Amino acid sequence: MVKRDKTSSVSDELDEESTVLNENGKRPADIQSKDGKKRFKTKSLYRQPTVKELNRLQETENLFNSNLFRLQIEEVLDEVKVKEKTAKRFQEWFNTFKQHLLSIPEDDTEYDLTENTVFKHLRVKSPTGNDLIKIKCMFKFHKFQDVEIVGSYALGNSINSRFIVDTQITVPADTYTKNDSVNYRYHKKRAAYLAFIASQLKNLEIIEELKYIYLNGCHTKPMLYVKPTGKLGNSLSVHINLVCDSEAYKLHRFSPLRNNLREAWLFGSENAENNLDVGPPTPYYNSSILCDLTTTVNHEFLNETYVNRDNLKQAVVLLKIWLRQRKLQVSGFVISLFVAYLVQIKRINNIMSSYQIIRNVWIALKSSEWDTKGISLYKGSAPAPSLDEFQQNFPIVFVDKSGYYNLCWDMHKGTYNALKRECSLAIEMLDNPKINSFIPLFMTPVETLMQFDHIIRFKNLSKLKESVLSKVPNTSKINYGVHQLALVTDTIYNLLCRGLGNRVDLILQLVEADFSWPVNKNVDKIKRGYEEKLAFGLVLNSENVTNIVDRGPPANLPESEEFRAFWGEKSELRRFQDGSITEACVWTADSAAERRALPKQIVDYLMKFKYGVPPTQMFHVCEQLDALLVARGGGREPVEEGCVRALQAFDLLRRDLRDLEQLPLHISAVYGVSEVFSCSSGAVRAARCPQHARRRGGSALLKDTPQARLPPYTPAHTAVLELGHSGKWPGDIEAFRCLKAAFNIQIADRLSKQFSLPTQPYLTHVDVLKDGYVFRLKIAHPKEITLLRREMENGVVKYKESEESINLQCETLLLPRLRGALHGLHQKHPAFGPAVCLLKRWICGHLMSAPHFPHVLPELLVATVFVKSAPFEPPAQPRTAFLRTLRLIAETDWSTEMIVLDFNDDMSHEEIAELERKFNERDQQSPAMYIVTAYDGDLPAVWSWASPSREVLARMRAIARATLTYFETALLQDFKDNVLGAFVPSLSGYDVLIHLVSHLVPLAAERIDRIPDIRNNLKPDEVSKSDDGLNEVLPVVEFNPVARYLDELRSAFSEFALFFHDYYGGDVIAVLWRPDIDDFRDLQIANANALKPVDVDGEIKYRVNKEALLEDFRILGRGIVKDITVS
Amino acid sequence: MTKASKKYHEFKAIELKLTEESISPHTIYIKEHSVREHTPDKPSGRTLFIINVPPYADENGLSNAFLEAGAVQCVQFCIKPNATVMEPVKKFLSETVNPTFRIAYLVFKKVAYLDKALKLTKLKPMYSVIQEVKIGLDKWIEQHNNSIQLPKTLKESIEVFMKSYDEEIKKAEEKEKQLEQEDDEGWVTVTKRGKVQSFARTEKVESKIMAKEEKNKKRKELKNFYTFQIRESKMKHIVALRQKFEEDKRKIAQIKQSRRFKPF
Repeated sequence: MVKRDKTSSVSDELDEESTVLNENGKRPADIQSKDGKKRFKTKSLYRQPTVKELNRLQETENLFNSNLFRLQIEEVLDEVKVKEKTAKRFQEWFNTFKQHLLSIPEDDTEYDLTENTVFKHLRVKSPTGNDLIKIKCMFKFHKFQDVEIVGSYALGNSINSRFIVDTQITVPADTYTKNDSVNYRYHKKRAAYLAFIASQLKNLEIIEELKYIYLNGCHTKPMLYVKPTGKLGNSLSVHINLVCDSEAYKLHRFSPLRNNLREAWLFGSENAENNLDVGPPTPYYNSSILCDLTTTVNHEFLNETYVNRDNLKQAVVLLKIWLRQRKLQVSGFVISLFVAYLVQIKRINNIMSSYQIIRNVWIALKSSEWDTKGISLYKGSAPAPSLDEFQQNFPIVFVDKSGYYNLCWDMHKGTYNALKRECSLAIEMLDNPKINSFIPLFMTPVETLMQFDHIIRFKNLSKLKESVLSKVPNTSKINYGVHQLALVTDTIYNLLCRGLGNRVDLILQLVEADFSWPVNKNVDKIKRGYEEKLAFGLVLNSENVTNIVDRGPPANLPESEEFRAFWGEKSELRRFQDGSITEACVWTADSAAERRALPKQIVDYLMKFKYGVPPTQMFHVCEQLDALLVARGGGREPVEEGCVRALQAFDLLRRDLRDLEQLPLHISAVYGVSEVFSCSSGAVRAARCPQHARRRGGSALLKDTPQARLPPYTPAHTAVLELGHSGKWPGDIEAFRCLKAAFNIQIADRLSKQFSLPTQPYLTHVDVLKDGYVFRLKIAHPKEITLLRREMENGVVKYKESEESINLQCETLLLPRLRGALHGLHQKHPAFGPAVCLLKRWICGHLMSAPHFPHVLPELLVATVFVKSAPFEPPAQPRTAFLRTLRLIAETDWSTEMIVLDFNDDMSHEEIAELERKFNERDQQSPAMYIVTAYDGDLPAVWSWASPSREVLARMRAIARATLTYFETALLQDFKDNVLGAFVPSLSGYDVLIHLVSHLVPLAAERIDRIPDIRNNLKPDEVSKSDDGLNEVLPVVEFNPVARYLDELRSAFSEFALFFHDYYGGDVIAVLWRPDIDDFRDLQIANANALKPVDVDGEIKYRVNKEALLEDFRILGRGIVKDITVS
Repeated sequence: MTKASKKYHEFKAIELKLTEESISPHTIYIKEHSVREHTPDKPSGRTLFIINVPPYADENGLSNAFLEAGAVQCVQFCIKPNATVMEPVKKFLSETVNPTFRIAYLVFKKVAYLDKALKLTKLKPMYSVIQEVKIGLDKWIEQHNNSIQLPKTLKESIEVFMKSYDEEIKKAEEKEKQLEQEDDEGWVTVTKRGKVQSFARTEKVESKIMAKEEKNKKRKELKNFYTFQIRESKMKHIVALRQKFEEDKRKIAQIKQSRRFKPF
């Protein structure tokens, strides 16, 4: 197991094996004697197994998650391995480079670093900026001994993308004097030393680019970035770091409790040097020097641990890939040391497979508590600072081999929490047998916009720094020294943590402050041009985020004082229902969307209250899309509330239905099947019937006089009824339907008599008005499906699926179950419904409304993001869910991948494997998008069977990709609040545009470019109240002239053209001719449609009469077509 | 009947306008309807066969268009040409007709009119004003309003249908009863309702019987009894593992193909 041939496969091994002695040392008896025929047989599945093969098959079961996992690990390791060619080239390059550096002449002149003479002399600029300029010290260049390769390349666990070779030069101890450790003199000298090296390198021809760069973003510790010339420069770059000879200082000078940065110096009093007052401890500053002093010890330790231990190296490579995909600010150095730590405490060893190692690392990290109980690599007997000492001075503690240096000194608490969280997610993924966890773990980049539900960005960072720093106590300022950004980040992080409490699961700072600049440029000028960026990403806790009240401690406890101090005037004394009187903060939010956006309110308040930062200075990536989640027409009611209201009405109706008397069969169950029942309907509106409408029975009629205005569009929400058992249903489909119709009439009759609800029976269904919502009730019976499937063949009754039976099965059997599951999903994750609305708006916005992209499918796609959320947690904000769905659409390779949607773990492993087998064996015609739910039964992927077509899917993926890039720039680079442009289609590229009369288009008020109707700005309650008297007439239901027009167009002309339309009030139908429209065709009786004779060189040929078709479009749409334009 | 072998090119192309204002009308193709066996509803010599009839053309419109040739008795539309008389299948729900291009059989009142029609070079427009024909918004409004019916009307239609259905069932039952009787040669037909018990002839029942047979056969076999059987079952296990391995390898190849192994 220890070493594996990566490319080996079982069949290859077999060929080798056949000529080799077997395990008993005997030549296998049969091999030589077998004739060719037998040899051939050994290739088959039934060949004799070899020991090696058996071992491999067995060890995979034991040592790896699965065969698939193992193979994938091998593939990815192979992919990121540094190419041999590159390594060879680099070695050559490095030899020349090293020789050059070692030939640097000694320089005996002593420079005063207060002035800029040294840099003028060297003809490079200083890598440190203004903040260190006032330091007085003398500098003399002492030559170094060696240039070493360290880090991942030296250890053999590097990754070949963005590949950096770390080298280090040890600065001789003579360079520094005893007192240089205080007040940044050390850093200043280090910078000068670096400049010295830079000046020697800047004209070297094997270097293409020479830049300064900061070590881990630390602005006082520059290093050199070198890009080699030629091909080598494309594949790697080199960093030159300076470390300090460990002889230079005793380590205990930098113990966490020591002060090395004087207050007087930092705050710029004149008598800085004379003031002998020693200030508070400066662990942060100390670490920046310790880092240089301890590298050698730690590198030695690493080399010792990793030498010849391939599995450890592989594990570290995998961990580094995993970290990089998550953009976590945890260096490979720390990870390597942590793995070494686990080796040291014997949690892991090299005999474990790489899979077992990473699993153990994750488990260890997941349960680690570096923020309260740090760990240490130090094993020596000499006295070193205790862990408690570290714990009190650092947020995160992981002490190195020397015992003095905290490896995580600059790690923010947010990063550590994120790391822990990712570890537990990783373990969850590994333990989930139903997904190929490898892909989300190692292959999927975790993008900021997808990961966080809420992102807080600061518009003007320098102003923010000022305001925050003016409020921070001096002790912290001294600790952090000139690292203001780190201080500001930590301060705001703590504020957010306290302020948001359990509303958030994770707060992670997103700092962009890393930059590099050419050695001959002044860093301060560059800094002015470069904008540092600070943002915080929040992962919300969908349960707690909606709490309106933050309860504090009881008023009589001393803690309440502290609570009041933190919240200021927002905190008030409140009496709660349980009788307790406590301090509390109450926030204002009416709708679900506003409640989800509460963190914005809180952060805005706290930033203003604590640091005087006005809300305009902050940008929240949060509610940009909420504008799409309100009914833009009358009422401006948020869709979620609309759906809830409809559901409440439905629940009452359900009760009424069960209570119906005098029916031959009682109603045993009622299931909602429309999208409103999973709260994912984009346009729910209470029905309103115009006064003085013509009516017939209990229903309003449409006016058929010319120029009459159409009543507002009222959708009907469909529900399916199940009747009590009876054996008397007829065995003939037509009679069956007739009997159903009779039931419809009876149900309608009873509903109106018993509960005085307005009803309208039809042959196929009943419409009923309940509390302002129209529900369409349909009777479902499994026998009807059976009757539709029934066929006679040779006197034997056989059952076969027909289109009709499948449709009925979908509507009456599968959809109720699926809708139930989706409703459950929405209850569990309230962001589900609104996210579906967003996706639907987006799909329709780009003119791909059903049937191009069928109903139910958007729900399934969004559900996938919730049910199979890896590598994330299920999203808490609709926007996050929406963007993740877009990514799912864009990045899934739909021709080779299928999605199995198993809501409640109903499916067994075997069932899924069987589905996969079916999927892989399917022929080309089957659906372009293959999504199976646990309820599909005998009809897998039934919801995506007919559409979308390959072409529509391709277009959708292209648009999804474009939309994602658009959001990325609009929300993370610019500060754009209006991003609705992503929902507006481009009409170029279509052949014909049919413009419709806008006031006849249903849902026209929902259009994105429509100015919201202010006249109708009534609250929904008021609407229903004002129309009370009209609740006895059913309004005009489901009358959608545009949909009818589209039906007719598609039925008549689908062989010539495709029609695209936006369901949400689109007043344009875009037409695309089929590509063969201009071909000549044969005139046949069965195929003469729309052909006209044309004379081509005296011969009569036939082609499609496009002009006549255009006229047909106009004729069929008489009354609603305004204009037709041909492009 | 002399024109038995016809080519499509013997169709005559002629433009059919909806109204006088139509700028680019469709071209319809006409010829005399002649098949070997004429059915009474499409009488020989009087029937004009039209293909490529536009979606909005209706009986009135076509009659108007051919008015110059002579009076029209009736027009039949269908999607595919059919030779036999169409038996209207009794359906409870009327099927919605979506407009498409169709073919039509136009029956003139007299034989002479047909000849005249075939000689026409120009047709009259189907309608003089567009308002005469119900299409577009007007049609949809009318359809919607018609779909709303009083419960009484609905009930009547149901009763009518059920009555005829019951009658049919009765007839069928009587027929079955007759079959129960011994016929001239002494044969008795076994039916569902007869005295002689029989099983229902459905797929389900048949497969059930087959499954039972199979089970009986299997019960007689011995498993894991002979050495070769044990050996085989062991082999089977390995084969299953191998198959899984091969499958995984195939999966990997597939993922590799889509270049998914480049993590960055």
